[in-house]
Amino acid sequence: MREKRPALVIAFENVTDALAVEKHCQVNGLPGRIIPIPREITAGCGLAWKAEPGDRDALLPALDGAGLAYSGSYIVLL
Amino acid sequence: MITVDARGDACPIPVVKTKKAIDALTGNETVEVLVDNETALQNVSKAARAMGFEAAATTLGENEFKITVKVVKTGADPGSAEVKDEAACCCPGKKNIVVAVGSDRMGEGSEELGQVLIKSFFFALTQQNELPGSIIFYNGGVNLSCEGSPILEDLRKLAAEGVSVISCGTCLNFYGLKEKLAVGEISNMYEIIERQEKADLIIKP
Repeated sequence: MREKRPALVIAFENVTDALAVEKHCQVNGLPGRIIPIPREITAGCGLAWKAEPGDRDALLPALDGAGLAYSGSYIVLL
Repeated sequence: MITVDARGDACPIPVVKTKKAIDALTGNETVEVLVDNETALQNVSKAARAMGFEAAATTLGENEFKITVKVVKTGADPGSAEVKDEAACCCPGKKNIVVAVGSDRMGEGSEELGQVLIKSFFFALTQQNELPGSIIFYNGGVNLSCEGSPILEDLRKLAAEGVSVISCGTCLNFYGLKEKLAVGEISNMYEIIERQEKADLIIKP
């Protein structure tokens, strides 16, 4: 069985929001990547942004500051 | 009596050795096969029976087993008793999954969405408990196995876990990417076909 590790997962209302966050993070060197939303999280559009749990305190304010929308953030085992 | 020592051999070698020893016989003979695990014991017994011979299994010790195969050559075409060495492998229940990727995006429609979906697909692939045996990249798919690909991290992870990654050489050449291959090996159309022929399941994202 594959070993799972905690991850920060940010969910979005729609794909456009997810793509906007991907673009913003890539341009600004913010950590993380696009993933399909884990099965444990039923909310959202199907895409999510995954980063390390420790990135939460830097990432969420950065998204907020840029006016980028997300529907929630979670720590899940991936 | 002929003794085949297949102790310490990884699957499917015990079956291959047994089959070779039997094929080499010209008359009736007893072949004794020594193996060191129960899966090999079952696989060799099954293979011998599939060839039409009697096979008796004996446990000699904790990790020592013997299969006694009574080979009776009837003059029939030995090729008629075909034994699939790889199918009789020591990973019962494990499917040979091949992922065949012909594009750097997933599905028709929006290019932007397709590029996101393919990244999503490869991340999800790394999360599966049962990984594919091979990933084959061809045509535009070779962009994904080369420098600058957004899925290199996933591909490296999969390769490190034993997934064989191959990219079509003709395609790398066509796109001028031969020097930029970042994961896996360059391959050709013969292997691309053979791997898919041997697959239990082919996934085309």
